[in-house]
Amino acid sequence: MSKLVSDCLYIGSGVILTLELLAGGILVGLVLGGVFSIARYRGICKSVINGIVSIVRGTPVILQLSIVYFLVPQLCGCKLSVLSTGIITFGINSSAYVAEILRAGIESLPKGQFEAAYSLGIPPFYMWRDVILPQVAMNIFPALVNETVTLLKESAIIATIGGMDIMRRSQIIASARYEYFAPLCMAAVAYYVLVLSIEYVGRKIEGRKVVC
Amino acid sequence: MLKICNVSKSFNGVKILDGVSIDVEAHSVVGLAGPSGSGKSTLLRCTQKLETPDGGAIEYDCKVGFMFQDFQLFPHMTVLQNLVYAPALKAGPDKRKQCIDKARSILKDLGMEGKALEYPRTLSGGQKQRAALARSLMIDPDALLCDEPTSGLDIATITDVVTLLQSVNKLGVTIVAASHDLDFLTQISDKIALLRGGKIVTEINPKQREDPIGYLKGYYG
Repeated sequence: MSKLVSDCLYIGSGVILTLELLAGGILVGLVLGGVFSIARYRGICKSVINGIVSIVRGTPVILQLSIVYFLVPQLCGCKLSVLSTGIITFGINSSAYVAEILRAGIESLPKGQFEAAYSLGIPPFYMWRDVILPQVAMNIFPALVNETVTLLKESAIIATIGGMDIMRRSQIIASARYEYFAPLCMAAVAYYVLVLSIEYVGRKIEGRKVVC
Repeated sequence: MLKICNVSKSFNGVKILDGVSIDVEAHSVVGLAGPSGSGKSTLLRCTQKLETPDGGAIEYDCKVGFMFQDFQLFPHMTVLQNLVYAPALKAGPDKRKQCIDKARSILKDLGMEGKALEYPRTLSGGQKQRAALARSLMIDPDALLCDEPTSGLDIATITDVVTLLQSVNKLGVTIVAASHDLDFLTQISDKIALLRGGKIVTEINPKQREDPIGYLKGYYG
């Protein structure tokens, strides 16, 4: 019994790295995705951004992780930590999807909202900040919650470069004892509880938002 | 006051406006009539610089407000915020209080004082129309362009809109209204220009003509 509890604690402590990767990845993803989306909408570096989004969406995350972890240090001569690698990789990966979600959100707004802002003489920065993006945020919120959940689950591949997250810890226990059932079930429960928590918080926020 | 000279506009090779010219006198109400696709809304949008004409010129040296067909109130802002946001942004934070007082005064004049803190989604079509009108009036326009102001409204609300626009006009605001509702246009307009196929086919003063609606309908074909 005490072995089960200690295994639980050992695997559970991987939640910290998973949440760090999730928070960092989604933050980088939102900022970069927002910049990509608005720049693309305004026709700034459209082809370059389209290219980046296409490549990121068209290649596996595990490949992107390997490039950032193994290739970038060879090219730049700087060694990245596992956490930095994860945040950079998941952030860039997420930014491509966030950019697409935002694009859909912006395009779903009536053109008249932009025209009304223009007619009222609202400068572009304030139009985006106070008129367009709040409405887009409300429209795309469910999709962003979905992206967060996807990112949380994708973060498990950090185990392939030695990140001590939930997945890696469960693998360590499993391979040490050749017992797979209990540690993998514990990892599954940990991920499932995290996903349910994100969905719960998402629903709470969605319930409070103003419906257009 | 507002001079539209030989304006033309095409979309994807289809000519929507074909050399349209209208003079709008100060303090008058001009109605733009015509069937769907005749170019009424495009003419208003060109005047408001929401579209760039391919040719011709639109000249005015006054403040022009615009009322959209589907109101285009900002749904995440209350009615009061819709009115105050843009003027307060221009005037600066120290004049925000004055903007709020002005907005409340306009809302009171339009019978909307009880709706100031409500969101657009809770308003009826007529109330949205009033809120949109109030927002346009916040910039103290010399001219107001109204795109289909009675679209989707019931008869009682249309009567309200007529009264509202007439009272706004009495305050010295020139009005140009595009509508397919000839009854509405004959009630408010000093001059009605009928567009068809991107051209003005006739101009009348509905107050000086017997059965103006019948006369205009003759051009619909």
